[in-house]
Amino acid sequence: MTGNIRVAGEQKQGLARAGQIYHDRDIRMRQLKAEGRKVLGYLDIYPVLEMLTALDLVPFGILGDIKEPISRADACLPTIVCPFLRSALDLGLKGRYDFLDGLVAAHTCEVGEKWAHIWRIYIDLPYIHYIDTPHTTHQSAREHLAVLLSDFQGTLESFTGAKLTPERLRRAIRMHNEQRALVRGLYDLRKPDPPLIAGTEVVQVLVALISLPVEEGNELLRQVIDEVKQRHDGPKKKPARLLLWGSVVDSTDLIAMIEDLEANVVMDDTFVGSRAYFSDVKLTDDPLEGLAEHYLVDIRNPRTFRETALDEANRKDYWADLESRHGYLKDYAREWNVNGVILQTLRYCDIQGYEVPGLKDYLEHIGLPCTYLEWNYSQAALSPLRTRVQAFLEVIG
Amino acid sequence: MVEEKKKFINRLKSMYALRANIDKMYARTVEASKAGNPTAWCAVNWWEADPILKAMGVEVVYPENYGAVCASAGVAQDYLERSAAEGFPTYLCGYARNCIGYAARMKELGEIPPEAPLGGMARPVLLLNSSALCDARYKWFQSLGRYLDAPVWTVELPHPGVKESQADGAHEQNIRFMVGELKEFIAFLERLLGKKMDWARLDELASAFIEVNRIWYEINELRKARPCPMHSRDFWTCMTASLYPSGDPKESLKLYRDLLAEVKERVANKIGAVAPEKYRLLFAELPPWHDLKIFDEMAERGWSFVVESWAYHPPKPIDLSHVSDPLERVARHTYRWFTGYFANALQEDEYMGYFAYPYLEWARDYQCDGAMLHPLLSCRTATNHLVLVQDRLLSKLKVPSLVAEGDIVDFKTFDHPGTMRKAEAFEEIMDHYRGLRRGEGLPW
Repeated sequence: MTGNIRVAGEQKQGLARAGQIYHDRDIRMRQLKAEGRKVLGYLDIYPVLEMLTALDLVPFGILGDIKEPISRADACLPTIVCPFLRSALDLGLKGRYDFLDGLVAAHTCEVGEKWAHIWRIYIDLPYIHYIDTPHTTHQSAREHLAVLLSDFQGTLESFTGAKLTPERLRRAIRMHNEQRALVRGLYDLRKPDPPLIAGTEVVQVLVALISLPVEEGNELLRQVIDEVKQRHDGPKKKPARLLLWGSVVDSTDLIAMIEDLEANVVMDDTFVGSRAYFSDVKLTDDPLEGLAEHYLVDIRNPRTFRETALDEANRKDYWADLESRHGYLKDYAREWNVNGVILQTLRYCDIQGYEVPGLKDYLEHIGLPCTYLEWNYSQAALSPLRTRVQAFLEVIG
Repeated sequence: MVEEKKKFINRLKSMYALRANIDKMYARTVEASKAGNPTAWCAVNWWEADPILKAMGVEVVYPENYGAVCASAGVAQDYLERSAAEGFPTYLCGYARNCIGYAARMKELGEIPPEAPLGGMARPVLLLNSSALCDARYKWFQSLGRYLDAPVWTVELPHPGVKESQADGAHEQNIRFMVGELKEFIAFLERLLGKKMDWARLDELASAFIEVNRIWYEINELRKARPCPMHSRDFWTCMTASLYPSGDPKESLKLYRDLLAEVKERVANKIGAVAPEKYRLLFAELPPWHDLKIFDEMAERGWSFVVESWAYHPPKPIDLSHVSDPLERVARHTYRWFTGYFANALQEDEYMGYFAYPYLEWARDYQCDGAMLHPLLSCRTATNHLVLVQDRLLSKLKVPSLVAEGDIVDFKTFDHPGTMRKAEAFEEIMDHYRGLRRGEGLPW
């Protein structure tokens, strides 16, 4: 079955379908399980989904739930680590993800790595694999990741009993690249003023994408893009067009709070937002090399260390370094006509937290006003943040 | 006449010379900087980059060590506040915020701040960090670009999962990766410093570091004796010569040999670090540097801390005498440190083979009655695994834990009197579980 999904007897399309899956993420997975498909959960954007798709496995993005109080995870993970990861583990322990046949994790960050090991201790699944994604873009790191992906391939082949041929993998890469292109097409709809689609709607679509097999996600994207282009009741024009940067945004709550004010969120640099979609995997002779290059080098994410830009005297040029690390945000701001940036990090997120002062320097240097919000992945945290955002909007006019 | 305060921890005499040798690294680096010689700020890298830097003639200081120095000297609080004023979130690593505050102040003054203890850290020509264990360190050094124009290099350490590490070919692939990494690092250093690697010197240094750690490992093995001859206080003092290998490694080697001799003598004569030794405990992870006196109060109650801080222990020794390439020797030695417990962990279905599992092995081998866990409010690395450790120690070995939250630098977060009140009650818990262990036939 491809294309439309029947949910409780009701067939939905486009944005309505995205909203339905957003609110009931596992419904399609349970149907696929009933049809005999195997579903593998994964965390964040570093597990190489193309390899799952190529073997007819269904990838399912594990998320947290901002509305669910964390209780069971307290017995495994301390309170001073990423609240999103704590929430995701909590849901696993409570059986929310009991339809999974396996888990693929990667070294997305230090706590994400520990999260994978702790999951393996407390939640037994038929298949679990951890990819030790390197930290740098060094040549040796790229070559190493390609070897690690070959090991990953071996474990997947053992699990499925199927052979992953280069041709199958290339076909899967093309399907995922198509999804990336479609997401970029979706984001293009945010460029007009007013944007044709709200930030909250985009989050719903992107959460739905990681809750569907790739071919169904692509069909959903095509439906959404067609619908949005034709409708006349999109977002209203507002004075602020904002870019949202930082930690995971896996629910509409934060963006709804912002868009409830005099602002449209027209661009983002987050997970589950644009980060996974704004570059394609190159089709190399050995597909694993292209995948390694993409996941280590092409994805722009502060978790990957990039060498300092040096001047002729081998000294670090601070502004050149900021430009090489954050220059793509300037492009986003120009293309999406952004007039303000909200930097947000989840409390205890070290990777994003260290970026904040330098990124503020950079944004101010290029004339983009910004504000910084730190929050703890709870609805209760949003009220005080609303006042901060309101004040920021007044500043940028 | 002033009555001398009774000391309840019997400190090792040979420890003082080791500490003094480490303290000299700050002066050495300042002098090198004044003489126009290259200096670096270096994250703990578990001997991957240290011998390379030394062979290239770079004098090194370790900002993590300096965080502990500043905390002990009582100057860290001002640096933490400066870091917050610079816009860095307050949940970030205490060592990092101390260093950022220091660097911001150094930039402002144009020189080493006058209040800096031990003569301060000289302006570096290189920031060298490691991907080992901790995200904070490479992000922290990257963020120092606001204050310093030194380039940053990160050496990679693979972090395989326990199961994945035991797959066919995984071990050798990880070694190949590390050797490739170190070659890239050397090429970078040669460009930066305009000079070539002294390979003979590197060969000599690599062997010296491995030998230092072999002796250091032997010393820690002797702590399994009853009574334990060496307290964690001495471990934390002495670990610095291994982890922050500044200065002449031959001198460190001699000092560790002196330490080994003293510990052997204590074992032979049944001299304990704490007498009487009523309870044997392990400590995870880093101590409250600003409040080390709490261990004296615990020693007064008969608590002896016999093993601690997995990350700062040397690797289980392996024979590397047949490995002629110094880079490969360095890689195998560091990789052994990281994965040395993995094979045993897998046999026990434990998947956090570093940080968490070693405490299970140690609690058995060192016959611990309890664990003191010190979650650090600003450090994910030292805290991530502690809830897991607490659970595994109790469920598998009937060893209970005392949890006292705090920070390595920020003294405001540690509740000294509250911890001592808990300690009193914890003795009853340790007695209870001692009975349970014996009832289940466990040997201690």
